[in-house]
Amino acid sequence: MHVKGADARVEGGQGTVVPPDIGRATQALRLIRGLLRHHKGLFFTAVACAAVFAACTVFSSVVVRLIIDKVIVPRFEDGTVAASRVVAILGLLIAVGVVRAIGVVGRRTFAGRTSWRVTESLTAEVIDRVVAQPVPWHRQQRTGDVITRAGVDAEAATHVLNPLPFASSVVLMLILSAVWLLITDIWLGMAAVAVFPVLIGLNLSYQRRVDRFYDTAQDELGKLSEAVHESFDGVTVVKSFGAESRETERLSVIASRLRNARFEAIRLRSTFEALLDGVPTIVNIVLLVAGAYRVRSGDMTIGELTSFIYLFTLLAFPLRLIGFALSELPYSIAGWNRIRELLDQPLLDNPALTLRRHAANSIELSGVMFNHDGTRDVLRGVDAVIPGGRTVAVVGPTGAGKTTLLHLIAGLIAVDHGSITVPQQGCVLVFQEPFLLAGSVRDNVSMGRPMSDDQIWTALLAAEAGFVEAFAEGLDTIVGERGVGLSGGQRQRIALARALVGHPVALLLDDTTSSLDPATEARVLANLRETLRDTTVVAVASRPSTIALADDVLYLADGQVVAHGRHEQLLATVPEYRRLMEAFEHERAEQSAEMLP
Amino acid sequence: MTEPLSRWSAVQMIGRGVEAAPALRRGFGATFALAMVGSGGRVVVPILVQQAIDRGLQKDKVDVGAIAVLGAIGLCVVLIATVAQRTAVARLGRRSEEALYGLRVRLFEHIHRLSLADHSEERKGALVARVTSDVETLSQFFSWGALAWLLDGTLMVMVAGVMLAYDWVLALVAFATAAPLAIVLRSVQRHLSAAYDKARSRNAEVLTAVSEVVSGSETLHAYDAGTHYATLTKQSSHERSNAFIRANTIGAFLFPSGEVFSVLTVAAVVSVGVVRGPAAGLTSGALVGFIFLTYRFLEPIAEFTEVLDQTQTAVAGLRRVLGVLDNPIGPPESAHPVRLPQGMLGVSIENVTFGYRSRGDDEEPPVLVDVSAQIPAGQQVALVGETGSGKTTLGRLIARFADPTIGTVRIGGVPLTAVANDELRTRLVVVPQEPFLFDGTIAANLGFARPLLSLADLEQAIVDLDLNDWLETLPDGLFTQVGQRGGQLSAGERQLVALVRASLVDPDVLVLDEATSSVDALTEVRIGRALEKLAAGRTTIAIAHRLSTAARADRVMVLERGRLVEDGPHAELLMAGGAYSRMYESWIAATASTQ
Repeated sequence: MHVKGADARVEGGQGTVVPPDIGRATQALRLIRGLLRHHKGLFFTAVACAAVFAACTVFSSVVVRLIIDKVIVPRFEDGTVAASRVVAILGLLIAVGVVRAIGVVGRRTFAGRTSWRVTESLTAEVIDRVVAQPVPWHRQQRTGDVITRAGVDAEAATHVLNPLPFASSVVLMLILSAVWLLITDIWLGMAAVAVFPVLIGLNLSYQRRVDRFYDTAQDELGKLSEAVHESFDGVTVVKSFGAESRETERLSVIASRLRNARFEAIRLRSTFEALLDGVPTIVNIVLLVAGAYRVRSGDMTIGELTSFIYLFTLLAFPLRLIGFALSELPYSIAGWNRIRELLDQPLLDNPALTLRRHAANSIELSGVMFNHDGTRDVLRGVDAVIPGGRTVAVVGPTGAGKTTLLHLIAGLIAVDHGSITVPQQGCVLVFQEPFLLAGSVRDNVSMGRPMSDDQIWTALLAAEAGFVEAFAEGLDTIVGERGVGLSGGQRQRIALARALVGHPVALLLDDTTSSLDPATEARVLANLRETLRDTTVVAVASRPSTIALADDVLYLADGQVVAHGRHEQLLATVPEYRRLMEAFEHERAEQSAEMLP
Repeated sequence: MTEPLSRWSAVQMIGRGVEAAPALRRGFGATFALAMVGSGGRVVVPILVQQAIDRGLQKDKVDVGAIAVLGAIGLCVVLIATVAQRTAVARLGRRSEEALYGLRVRLFEHIHRLSLADHSEERKGALVARVTSDVETLSQFFSWGALAWLLDGTLMVMVAGVMLAYDWVLALVAFATAAPLAIVLRSVQRHLSAAYDKARSRNAEVLTAVSEVVSGSETLHAYDAGTHYATLTKQSSHERSNAFIRANTIGAFLFPSGEVFSVLTVAAVVSVGVVRGPAAGLTSGALVGFIFLTYRFLEPIAEFTEVLDQTQTAVAGLRRVLGVLDNPIGPPESAHPVRLPQGMLGVSIENVTFGYRSRGDDEEPPVLVDVSAQIPAGQQVALVGETGSGKTTLGRLIARFADPTIGTVRIGGVPLTAVANDELRTRLVVVPQEPFLFDGTIAANLGFARPLLSLADLEQAIVDLDLNDWLETLPDGLFTQVGQRGGQLSAGERQLVALVRASLVDPDVLVLDEATSSVDALTEVRIGRALEKLAAGRTTIAIAHRLSTAARADRVMVLERGRLVEDGPHAELLMAGGAYSRMYESWIAATASTQ
């Protein structure tokens, strides 16, 4: 299940994603049936157009025969031909050509429509599922893997729908041609028809083999990308140690592996390209010589023989492409399987439903235990009552379980034992790492909730995010990947405004203000006190200045509450707590003592 | 920098590309000749049909023997052509991959030697793209586009030649009827590439939206915004489908327009041929041959228009690649390097002014203005100042990651511009703020400082910095995997690795960019201890973000908007009541907890 996105093609190519007990053909049928649950109409329109194309292709050889037997031969051997007949036959030629072209346009248009509409349906299904799955599910997944499944795999799975109508028209064309060739001349027909499977087989075996080389090359390219990324990322280190040449050499070795993989693919490809051009030509020559006997014995006309050869020429091209068209199949199957895996996972329970709710705005924790992935106890029985309207600082060494505690109160994850009671409206959490979505400042603050500009500005100003006023586009300024670059502190303040805009009854801050400079942090905290008088605030904090601003401190160590009380009180009575505080202050105190006489 | 290049025409660009990758030119004549022979195989059938009809297949008498002889000749030609084509394709492919490999190696070397200003965060992705996707564009071109130019180009020339040889009037009729196809295809192609550009950017939007819904899942859950953003993503996916369907519909007309023109051309050729008749010296075989040749002639045209587009993409990729190679490399290597004196080295900064190369039309103000200072060997100096004061830049100039715009930096009395890079990097080492670790073991990362060190050397270095106790906490000791960018280690541990790595070079001058990220108390103690050991006996220039570091240094240099405003020992500067004492006071106030 943990197949990296970049490897998907490789895995598919080597068939490891395909369960060995199910054959490729069954898989393909299942895939196509699965894909065509929607948009069947579009697909079969494409197939119908493809059938028109196939019929016209075969029929055009009949027209060529008419041109030779009824126009050219009479003109050149008998000296004359009726103008009306010439016009009629050439008109037929043009008509067949135009209808054939319309068939192609229809086939391509509708095949494209089918595959993109199916991609759309599939993407929607995956997105709905991903969004519905609660946080614990997301934590079990590798983010990159889910992104690949939802984004790239949905597209890969439907790729096969594009060449499918074409492939079906090739099959139809082969059947029609076979019939037509056999009717025209049984012996020659049999010889020609016998060649079809040879060409298709050659094609498929080539495709399978060459795909393997291209997959290897793709794999090597992925490795090269990764190495280049890392090497350029570390350019300062490379320069610091004068390692430019060493790095170039290291990367060159990886690049040479890519080159060698390509060499192999090229070698194979050049041979097959030449064979796929050469073999039909050789067959044509043989047909011509053999056909001469049939013409001599009067079993065939010159026109029939020529149209025979002409038809064979027409078929050579689609025959060449059939392998190419089918080469998408393994990747589509792999993509489809990976999407199914994601969709077939049961929907996990929403942890927020395990929270108890009450009318008051206090938060009560009773015997809260939480075990991280079944191995490590993060919280080992936490009891605490955080009275409504108070500001409590959660303090503790790294790994004490502070963040986990906040995520439990927010209902992102569920307790293993014990209970948490929160206000009716729930709590709003501001994460340690702010996450801004690509979009406007407005969208990032409102998050889809109906909010007026005034409300948004009020929240931004309370979060000390007044810098947005300086942007030319104001609230419509695009932030995120392709937008303006924001500093960590600025991002954090926008994330804070997002929490404040809904006037939360309870606010959970996970070290939110640590990326702000001390002065801004102090202003933010002062604003919070003023605007959210009745709001219960639980804040994970590491700076003494922040901690000092809280009403109470909840000192957490090793998954348990060690002490709960006022900062000064804890400093005086809990030696462990004092040591933690002093670790930060130690240096400063030392310096001051040295310096001041 | 890339500006002048964009005015170059495609032809000049290709010329420069060949110059940059000389492997392309080697043996191209032979490849072309082989392709020509290879194309010969594809006109065998039309010629054979013509010959057979004219010589052996008369209505009343069929000369099977003559046709068999013709067939045998045809077979030989096809065999030779097949071998020639195979060789041509293989040669082109090999040469181009060889050339692109060479180009990549040049790019690696060049990009690593570009100045750090060119490696800024926002350009990093672009540089990676130059070596990966842009060179890939070229590779794609060589495996499809260039091949089509070679094979289809020679085929069209060959077919046109045969047509003209049969009957020049009919040939001209065919060319004239088919000519408008080129115009039709070009216009379709233009709409098509615009439509695909749009579709591709829509695709990027969908992928961004999807990745945000997934990676931001916790935020979306915390704000109950999942449904809202799912709707936005689905909408974006719907627009992507529309864009691709539109592009696909335009593309659907490319190939069939070739079909329509083929039947029109055949009709024109047959009409004219029938009118002219045998009196004009035309034979029925030639006319039938013409039907075959017309299809052969028009077959590659549709492909050509796609190839033309791909060629443009490749030229654009080539332009970007050459643009990087045109960027001057970072501080240039001295042609006549001067050796540094043995023993401890002092640093002297003489009237240094520095401005980053301006990127837009706006003149950027200099980052450093007329800074001078003498740092005697062995002194511990702290550079302090607010963000944007130029302290980091000054550190970079001392490490010669860039050269001053005006003024000179000397190390051990030798101007940095005269010191060989290899020597400088063994005498001066930089420990960056966020030390970068490569994915691999701790040992491998330490070894990066100096290859060929033994495990014992690495262990000794750790002992020397008093970090034994830390090493013991690691699950696999020196063989602990650090993960991508060192992600398996904490920020503090990454700094420890960086300090040990720096100590392995045993430099005389140390430039330390102090970390700002908070680390746990124990690691903090270890870092402090290791730093002290590492700095002892070396000239140390610390870019200090915490004033506690400054307070410990022998000397503090205070920068304000690019100027050196104060310079002296910590205690003295505090007494002076200037910029430094103000900074110190506000720091004390901010970190105070119990008053």
